[in-house]
Amino acid sequence: MKIEPQSSSEIIGAAGADTEYAVEAVDLSFTYQDGVREALRAVGFKQARGEMIGIMGASGAGKSTLAKCLNRIIPEFEGGSFSGAVSIGGRPLDGLRVCDVAADVGMVFQDFEAQLFSTNVAHEVAFAMEQIGMDRATMNQRMTPALEAVGLRGFEHRDPTSLSGGEKQRLAIASVLALSPRVIVLDEPTTDLDPEGKAEVFALISSLRERGLSLIVIEHETEELRRSDRVILMREGAVISIGPPAEVMTNLELLEQSGVHPPSLNRALAMLGIGGHAESVDEAYSAIVRAYPRLESSGRSIAPEPEIAPAQTSSAAALAAVEDVSFNYTGGPRVLDSVSLAIAPGDFLAIVGQNGSGKTTLAKHIVGLLRPVTGRVLLDGRDRAGLRAAETAREAAYVFQNPDHQIFAATVWDEVAFGPRNFKLAPDEVERRCVEVLDAVALLAERESDPFLLSKGERQRLAVASVLALRPRLLILDEPTTGLDYREQRRMMSLVTELNRSGIAIVVITHTPWLVAEYARRVALIRKGRKLFDGGVREFFADEELLKTASFRPPEVTRLARRFGRLALSPREFADWVKERA
Amino acid sequence: MPLYRYIERDTFVHRMHPTVKVIALMVMFWSVYWVDNPVALLPLGFLLLFIAVITGSSGNFYALRWLFIILITSTTLMWMATYRPGPAMVHMPKVNIRKASILFGLGKGIKLAELLAASVLFISTTKVEEFTIGLAKLRVPYRVGFAVSLSFRLAPLFVDSALTIVDAQRLRGYEFGEGSIFERMRRYATVAIPVFMGALRKANSMAMALEARGFGRLARPTTYIDYPFRPADMVAFAALFAIGAGYFLIYWTGYGAVVA
Repeated sequence: MKIEPQSSSEIIGAAGADTEYAVEAVDLSFTYQDGVREALRAVGFKQARGEMIGIMGASGAGKSTLAKCLNRIIPEFEGGSFSGAVSIGGRPLDGLRVCDVAADVGMVFQDFEAQLFSTNVAHEVAFAMEQIGMDRATMNQRMTPALEAVGLRGFEHRDPTSLSGGEKQRLAIASVLALSPRVIVLDEPTTDLDPEGKAEVFALISSLRERGLSLIVIEHETEELRRSDRVILMREGAVISIGPPAEVMTNLELLEQSGVHPPSLNRALAMLGIGGHAESVDEAYSAIVRAYPRLESSGRSIAPEPEIAPAQTSSAAALAAVEDVSFNYTGGPRVLDSVSLAIAPGDFLAIVGQNGSGKTTLAKHIVGLLRPVTGRVLLDGRDRAGLRAAETAREAAYVFQNPDHQIFAATVWDEVAFGPRNFKLAPDEVERRCVEVLDAVALLAERESDPFLLSKGERQRLAVASVLALRPRLLILDEPTTGLDYREQRRMMSLVTELNRSGIAIVVITHTPWLVAEYARRVALIRKGRKLFDGGVREFFADEELLKTASFRPPEVTRLARRFGRLALSPREFADWVKERA
Repeated sequence: MPLYRYIERDTFVHRMHPTVKVIALMVMFWSVYWVDNPVALLPLGFLLLFIAVITGSSGNFYALRWLFIILITSTTLMWMATYRPGPAMVHMPKVNIRKASILFGLGKGIKLAELLAASVLFISTTKVEEFTIGLAKLRVPYRVGFAVSLSFRLAPLFVDSALTIVDAQRLRGYEFGEGSIFERMRRYATVAIPVFMGALRKANSMAMALEARGFGRLARPTTYIDYPFRPADMVAFAALFAIGAGYFLIYWTGYGAVVA
């Protein structure tokens, strides 16, 4: 489908023409130096002072490119062909350097590690103020309010590396707040955070909005953009829809076509023929009760539902098992504390928990990258003590969170062939396996491509293919959907489901509730190194107390169904139940 | 172990002006440079250890204890084998042990250990920001000083990344420990590509974030913390001058050499 961008004149901001705008972007177009197509095509919008604009779109839609145009990273930092104009608070940015715009446009990036430079929190907040030449008295005046706004007062002397992900991102926001910029642009600020960190940052964004700051928030999680004044939907470098969330987020077909996850409440309302936009679970509940009065909740708690509980597997019969495993790094605190877990052939297990809870450490024990301090790890009934990781690579495979930690070869083909060649398989067997797995991950056409030039989603699939070529019986994927857009997430999980159907046991470490709800059959919850839960997915989502303890928010549609005393894991399941009852 | 291990304390060394700390590091290097005699080097070694104790930095020294031991013993042995001045004390079929070669080797070992100790002491008592300011006051361009100090923060990230990549390759059946030393080195070279690509990406993201925070706008940015030059700094400066001059004098008079 060909997408026609809306012209700038059609995309006028909420405020009147004579109002001073925080941002005015006119006909922005940009093509990266090595790009074959325009990354931005005649994009324009106006943002009134104090307005919050959310930007949605699939990877490659042009969201980050647009953000970079607002503080001159494009065209000053990124090479390419640029046209158009940006004004901030009525001041045209033409000819300015990125550093000249820093005081007007505060930019917060996705990678929080790459935007912290100092040895303590106070120095970090002061850094940007120092760079623009602010005097010491003003810096001191601004320091406390900035830290207070992000809830980090009292952290002045803490080393930023010792903060949690959410705290680091809040610190990055404090450092731009201290400059009192005219607009703050947040480019996917929660992508690398766990649910707790995400909640912290979204709560902060809400509070900044209430204080009347002009905000532009780029985000994959559409549900978090519902309270924006307006949202912009981008696709292939163009703005294809702009307006209030109630307008844009109810065009579910357009959202799906654009690779954006439609809010699950709106989906449920549409499936029920009610339609419209729900900003919260309460709003959706009221709309459904109005349409289906007989459904009103009796106030009872969720009735236990019949569920085929995952069969308990003994360690001896398991494909992999950890028995009473404890672990700590030399001189460090305990990372795993008496954890036992058995993975049966054909299992589909989701391991969930906050960052630092011990999920990855547990997985590394199973594949032999770490050895337990106490307890033991069994692979196919054999104690894996004494076995090297390389020796068991064909039994239990592990896909790292960052695909770039795995990829190194010059071509996609060589990348996949690396594993089989290490095991000295015959060339025709290596070829057979490469064709098989590249076909499975839909990368066969890219066999001669340079892996580093693939998109993040493609690199993630290549990383999976490169371990699949060893034909493991157990595949562990560490946060395989982090940084991927909705379409790529679906694609990745469909691939994983297919592999599971073909007989491979799957373990997915994830923070994404809807992935757990819709794909896994069993959940293990790890908290502070201890296993708090191991059982069926429905049982997991039915246990409100447990979810609260683990700060794990179920999908919104699950919370909506709960209001009716029912457990539903997807909009379809909920809508079917409502229709049946009504 | 993180490369930059600043120890938060409030001692006179921590409070010293950043420029004096940078000069102190230079003076330590200067003093060690002129002298080979272990007896002449020992006072400097004791001074560094004393400062390590009073600044609470001994934990960082302890963490590197094996590196200190390996530096001193391996250097001593190497010079004993290759440097043979004067008459031998002990005659053996292939090894002649000479007093001068032992002293010379030991001196070289202590020199390296003291260079390391001075560096450890510096990073234990100096924040990255102070390092940048110290260099800037010595007329090193701010951008250069900042890049040098930032590299201390980045190095451990790249080491972590390299270790993860090694794990990823091992999990695909790649045995890093197989073959001769050269074969092993060749095998580890496969790690260089993803580390390099990762470093490039990280450097690009950091450069972007730095400019977005205004880095590069001023040749000499202001500083959040005031670092006044106090009388104690003058005293420290005078003491450092005396140490530097003293060691040059030891060299000049010939007492710094093992063999005349």
